[in-house]
Amino acid sequence: MKFSEEEIQNWKCETCGEGLVMRKVEFSYMKGSFHAELPACPKCGLVLITEELAMGKMAEAEKALEDK
Amino acid sequence: MNEAVAKPWSTESLCPVCLKRISAERVIDGQEVWLVKSCPEHGETRTVLWRGEPDLPGWQRPKIPSQPPVCFTEPQFGCPYDCGLCSNHGQHSCSALFEITSRCNMNCPVCFADSGSSAESDPSLDTIETWLKSVRRACGDHIVIQLSGGEPTVREDLPDIIRMVRAEGFGFVQVNTNGLRLSGDPAYAGQLQEAGLTSVFLQFDGTTDEVYRRLRGRTLLDEKVQAIENCMQSRLGVVLVPTLVPGLNQDDIGNILRFGMERAPGVRGVHFQPVSYFGRYPSAPDNTQRLTLPEIIRAIEQQTEELMKVEDFAPPGCEHSHCSFHGNFVVLDNGKVMPLSSQNATCCNKPSPAAEGAMKSTRFLTHQWAAPEIEMPPASKAGKEKCCDCSEPPSLDDFLNRIKTHTFAVSGMAFQDVWNVDLERTRNCCIHVVAPDGRLVPFCLYNLTSADGHPLYRGKSHADIAP
Ligand code: SF4
Ligand code: SF4
Ligand SMILES: [Zn+2]
Repeated sequence: MKFSEEEIQNWKCETCGEGLVMRKVEFSYMKGSFHAELPACPKCGLVLITEELAMGKMAEAEKALEDK
Repeated sequence: MNEAVAKPWSTESLCPVCLKRISAERVIDGQEVWLVKSCPEHGETRTVLWRGEPDLPGWQRPKIPSQPPVCFTEPQFGCPYDCGLCSNHGQHSCSALFEITSRCNMNCPVCFADSGSSAESDPSLDTIETWLKSVRRACGDHIVIQLSGGEPTVREDLPDIIRMVRAEGFGFVQVNTNGLRLSGDPAYAGQLQEAGLTSVFLQFDGTTDEVYRRLRGRTLLDEKVQAIENCMQSRLGVVLVPTLVPGLNQDDIGNILRFGMERAPGVRGVHFQPVSYFGRYPSAPDNTQRLTLPEIIRAIEQQTEELMKVEDFAPPGCEHSHCSFHGNFVVLDNGKVMPLSSQNATCCNKPSPAAEGAMKSTRFLTHQWAAPEIEMPPASKAGKEKCCDCSEPPSLDDFLNRIKTHTFAVSGMAFQDVWNVDLERTRNCCIHVVAPDGRLVPFCLYNLTSADGHPLYRGKSHADIAP
């Protein structure tokens, strides 16, 4: 991800009002599971998936995991 | 099993004795599916087609037949006597196989190549050029060209032939070989690569010399390993091709896969071929001498300790569903693999045009079976205990890097012989042998022989083929 710790600190979790921190998050996607450092709320654990990630790397992974 | 599908499905086959076309039924009997057929003159035969899960009724990928864009013959005697391809055929070509010699540098008990004949009997370069031109006209230049034999490396002019294939515009050319010459001459792989070779289909029956002694009559493992190394040095993609014989090497399936993955990305995948029976057989080969596709798929799961699972494999999008299986994986840094394809692709079960499947399949194979386009990182440690956190999933970034190089294709094709041949399958076949006169003949039909060893196609002209 291209955001600095400071930058994401300024983003607040909508429910908790906490500043987000970078966290190692595990997620399953299609037939694979991955981990990535993503901004998350330290209190409720909610993960922010930016449009950049969704459109970029995750779309790339999706294409790779597709059947021929 | 669901009663509704436990009905026989009708198709057509051939009498093993007289090679006449006869009706046949695929009969479900418990966990097994049998091809049952009866010739009015020569009686009934029953041959096992499928044993166990994944069930045959669910193993479908329906296609709408696509007539070949150019047909070299017209229907005259009826299928399978009009190849071809004739206008009744249901699929385009995805691979064309050229037999460039019938000579061989080995003497395997399981093979019928003629190791005794001389170089003069090989097709000339002019003849091969004519074949190439007609194949390009009929199929386009996007297909897989496979140079086969005999053993193609016995021809001193193999590099010239490869250059000719490339000069005709074909992007992908593969040599089907036992690897002896590639192992013995370190410079040879480089010469073939420079000539334009993309990929090597390497006979690789097992990971012990015992397997080779029993199947090929001599020890061969060292030669195979050396051949693979030489190919990797020269950036030729290697596909391991085991012939699986019941009781002989079916327990080595997991080892073969691990052996291949340890050499990824140089080794691009494994293509299993259960044994089929050509030549002279006084009585039908015993059904215990047959290994069916689902048995191989289950063996893969068992013998890789579920590194690869049954559900990771799917029926083909190109050829008939009963012909093959495939699963694609990415070999991760920690020795695990991640499946890239799944049966989900078949769940909507909407028939799509066969030609679309053929196009997708050639695009996939010409990419997957060639060496990766970017610089190869050192071989991975698949199947080896290496790290302490093996259960940990890869990072998204690692995965995206890995996918560019370390994809690994596992597939299997059940070639047919006169006992189990299903004309619905051969009519929709995408792998075609170029006959000496340039006609294209589905691989299984080209090699098919009657029980007493008479060929249906090999060595015959169209007019001679009518039953
Ligand atoms: S297998 Fe195909 S090409 Fe051959 S006769 Fe049948 S339909 Fe025609
Ligand atoms: S070669 Fe035989 S097994 Fe393979 S696709 Fe053709 S008919 Fe099916
Ligand atoms: Zn008969």
